Amino acid sequence: MRRAALAVLAIVPALGLSAQGLPTTPPKPTRLAPVRFPPFKEAMLPNGLAVVVIEHHEQPVVSVSLSFRAGAIYDPAGKEGLSELTAELLSKGTETRTAEQIASTIEGVGGRLSASSAEDFLTISADALSDQLELVFDLLGDVTLHSTFPTGELDLARTRSLSALALQLSQPGAVAQRFFASEIYGRNPYGRSATRDSYRAVTVEDVTQFAHERLRPAGALLVVAGDVADAEVRDLVAKAFAGWRGAPPSGPALPAPVTRLAPEILLVHRQGSAQANIVAGNPTILPTDPIYYPGRVASQVLGGGADSRLFLILREQKSWTYGAYAALRRHRGLGYWQATAEVRTDVADSALVELLHQIDRIRTDVVPDSELTAAKGFLVGSFPLTIETPSQIASQVANAKLLGLGDDYLRLYRERLSAVTALQARAAAARLFRRSALTVVVVGDGARLYDRLRAIGPVRIVDVDGKTLTPGDLNPLVATVTLDPRQLESRTESSQVVVQGTARGFAVADITHVGDSVVYSEHAGAGNGMFDQRTTVVFSAADAAARRLDQVMIRQGTKVEAHLVYAGGRVKGNNLVPQPDGSVQQVPVDTAVPPGIVDENVAPLVGSSLVLAPGQTVRLAVFTPSEVATKVLTFRVGQPETVVVPAGTFQAYRVDVTGPRVPLVLYVTVDSPHRVVKQEFVGQPAVIELVK
Amino acid sequence: MRSGRVRGVGVLGGLLLWLAPALAAQAGRISYEAFTLPNGLHVLYSEDHSAPIVSVDVWYNTGSRNERPGRSGFAHLFEHMMFEGSAHVKKGEHFQLISRAGGSENGSTAEDRTNYYETIPSNRLNLALWLEADRMRSLAITDENFHNQRETVKEERRLRVDNQPYAPAFIDGMTWPFDSATCFAYAHTVIGSIDDLNAAQLSDVQAFFDTYYAPNNATLVVVGDFRPLELRRFVNQYFSEIPRHPDPPPVSCAGRLGPGPARRELTDAHANLPAVMRIYRVPPHADPDTPALELLNVILGEGESSRLNVTVVRREKAALGTQVAMNPFDSRRGPGVLLALAIANQGVDPLKLDTLVSAQLDSLRATGVTGDELTKAKNTFRAGFIRGRETTLGKAEELQHYDMFHASLAEINGDLDRFLAVTADDIRRVAGKYLDPANALVIIVKPAAGGAAQ
Repeated sequence: MRRAALAVLAIVPALGLSAQGLPTTPPKPTRLAPVRFPPFKEAMLPNGLAVVVIEHHEQPVVSVSLSFRAGAIYDPAGKEGLSELTAELLSKGTETRTAEQIASTIEGVGGRLSASSAEDFLTISADALSDQLELVFDLLGDVTLHSTFPTGELDLARTRSLSALALQLSQPGAVAQRFFASEIYGRNPYGRSATRDSYRAVTVEDVTQFAHERLRPAGALLVVAGDVADAEVRDLVAKAFAGWRGAPPSGPALPAPVTRLAPEILLVHRQGSAQANIVAGNPTILPTDPIYYPGRVASQVLGGGADSRLFLILREQKSWTYGAYAALRRHRGLGYWQATAEVRTDVADSALVELLHQIDRIRTDVVPDSELTAAKGFLVGSFPLTIETPSQIASQVANAKLLGLGDDYLRLYRERLSAVTALQARAAAARLFRRSALTVVVVGDGARLYDRLRAIGPVRIVDVDGKTLTPGDLNPLVATVTLDPRQLESRTESSQVVVQGTARGFAVADITHVGDSVVYSEHAGAGNGMFDQRTTVVFSAADAAARRLDQVMIRQGTKVEAHLVYAGGRVKGNNLVPQPDGSVQQVPVDTAVPPGIVDENVAPLVGSSLVLAPGQTVRLAVFTPSEVATKVLTFRVGQPETVVVPAGTFQAYRVDVTGPRVPLVLYVTVDSPHRVVKQEFVGQPAVIELVK
Repeated sequence: MRSGRVRGVGVLGGLLLWLAPALAAQAGRISYEAFTLPNGLHVLYSEDHSAPIVSVDVWYNTGSRNERPGRSGFAHLFEHMMFEGSAHVKKGEHFQLISRAGGSENGSTAEDRTNYYETIPSNRLNLALWLEADRMRSLAITDENFHNQRETVKEERRLRVDNQPYAPAFIDGMTWPFDSATCFAYAHTVIGSIDDLNAAQLSDVQAFFDTYYAPNNATLVVVGDFRPLELRRFVNQYFSEIPRHPDPPPVSCAGRLGPGPARRELTDAHANLPAVMRIYRVPPHADPDTPALELLNVILGEGESSRLNVTVVRREKAALGTQVAMNPFDSRRGPGVLLALAIANQGVDPLKLDTLVSAQLDSLRATGVTGDELTKAKNTFRAGFIRGRETTLGKAEELQHYDMFHASLAEINGDLDRFLAVTADDIRRVAGKYLDPANALVIIVKPAAGGAAQ
């Protein structure tokens, strides 16, 4: 096709290669070349700065990192985010360069320079081609020693950090990690996260003082890796950091983390979440504790990768998740371990039970030889993969030095893992994975998760901002819907269905009252009789509780019917369920529903009848017959807009409805009765407009 | 604020640079050999003995562009099936064998290609090749595994798209410049819709395997610590008996530039902040305009000193951040997209943000770029070019990339020169041609009312 095969036909026989075919079992390993950790040079300067140089000449690149004990754990209480803002500001102005000059100087030569803050360390990093080493050190020295922390730059950094926080709170994985850290560490600084208030509390004086006190050479580590010579680096270090002295004050005493007496589940309610993000774990050990090695093996067996129990069971057997993992994490102080999985909401309870079972199992049962060999095979064998580039080697060396793991750590790492026995792995699991005092955080749709999780253990509920919620807050209107009779006065409304500007169908709705019930009847059609649907919902005029649903649908000549009765906390009958092939089938239903539940077919009518003022949020618990699911719909009322539809021109609130399979936007008249004059469906081309 | 100062140092930096650029003329160079088996399997290899590891990287010449209407997401679902077992490998064993050997493995699906790769200690090269050969020859397709992976992929979609802010707008936005009627290939998403995933049948899996997973539709690349004779022996033994299949049917895409500006507003129930995306149609990767577009990309959106960062993020304080990308999943042989994204700071009107972003694009069209900016872009590109070739897997992917998306694989070592030859006039010309408002789709993403954090 793309290339001539002739050359090969000639070559292959010439080499005398005969095809014996594919073996039926995996081929055996060939001889393994010895793996040595690449050599590096280290020195301690008189001012206490440790310098590591890794000469690696394969490509003309260099990576430099300078790490200080100035991470987020050193933020004063109430000023969380100070270390992060200090890092951001280091490259935003010095005595001789503006922020834009720093950026254009390093980026002009194709390099990068930035600083970031993690829990323990603040690190300034630079990358460049190795012929720019002098420029890199000139800038590194300048931002370390001569930063000016301009007020305008702090304002900008704060604005961006506040927005980044809002972004983070919209991402379920980030929300889960934030709550997990605070749940397991409590007041210990490893558990704190920046908040809107703490970002706002940071002043230029705070930043200046933090940098002045903490960015000191003693205890700091400079690592230079790449196509460089040790002597050249030493000269540049001497020049860039001449006269630099001092040590940071010792850190604050770290309060003990939370001690739990029993497992506890924190449910973080995220309205409309498409999955449940599960994180389980607890604080563990100091980084130098030798139980790390058997603990690492146990953690690998449990959830280290695609060959581990959690992945093989939760994903490959059960089909509940895309991934499930466990990991030990080290800090300079007390570390932690966690198991994570993002699962389908309706199996969140099963997934959590299975996860807990697997934790029990690794704590109590001896790991079989095959799994032990496999885990150690990966941990030991994959080590060379982690030291392929100079920057990877640098990060291994930096990690060992910063965490104080000892001079022989990298040399003995594989040997120590190889020596772990099955009994040691079990003992480590029993000590590190505190099953009886586990913290579980689940981020997801609280209304759909609360009852499932409550069956497993005690559940506390908070919203994404951390505010405590009660179970009632998850379905706040189930018990309290009070309908205003004026909003549901008897009437007939005719609408048209418009697809990309062309009328394609119609809907006529009648609202009448029979006794203490409202009867809502709707006749909808499209495609000249190809589609025809009559729906009648009977519900309580007092609180909108559904009483019955009858539906007759004719699609391309085929008639299907649904009849559901809501009574005594259950819904029973037949409903209509769309199939993947486009057809619709009748399916029997007999399921429990919360008292007072609203049928989703009348949710726009009921929701809009409750709408009162811009900024208001209304939640409505509904039953969706086609999905046999109970959901909470959220109606968020926006500002009034002028809406023009065939029935006339109306002042109408824009109401965003989230929670249904397809979110929609209703336009609801300001005047009573609040009529829905237009409906849009998010991501769909169809619009329904009131005709009269 | 500080406008004007940026130039001063830039000039100096530029001068310094042009004085001392000779360094890396050979840097990033990849030497390689190629051969083809009689069954059509193309093999490329490159020795690198700097670490005792090896990367095996197989690209199949298929991706979401080969899907048919009603089966969006199928190529990716199929990719998952490739890890579910083959004639001599049980379900789960692929992961086990690689992992126990100390290797790492994965696969990914883009519009034009699907890749499968292992990086492994060099004494297990035979294992990685054996696993690739077994699944190229004989996939184990069972209903149970198919159901399992379909559910897994649906969770992947929920994890990466449906449960994330901006992600649905982003992946759909990439497809909107293309018309299903003339270019279904790029008019649908790689991950596909849940409905289409539900509709996929077991029989589709066998048909897709038979059509696209043939040696004559694949390229095997091996980079790292091995001896070529041994590699040839393994490849010949493991792969040569896999039969050739008929060539797959060609895919066509009639994309066209500048059909007129389009604008969409979306409500995102998960977003707390508004966002703006501008999407422009760009030519196939092999087009001569690509180097100038890539450098334009750097000038516009890469780094602290980029146009968008300096103006929209820093001076106007309108965005939390901005990003520019061309064909974010991988290059294409057909027409592609250039995206400029910005997430608004709290309280910033997205329409104002869009005005600020589009002003930067307009200024590139009107006045082009400075000499300093061009120098910076070339140096940034050169550094990225070298960094991308540091690892065995990085080199393997580069070999695959040039083999599939370039006129000739030999360009792998001359391509940097094409970039270094780009002039400011070239950039202004491609800016005028592709950043034309008539060629743009603008998407405004708004948080659901009341959903914004203060």
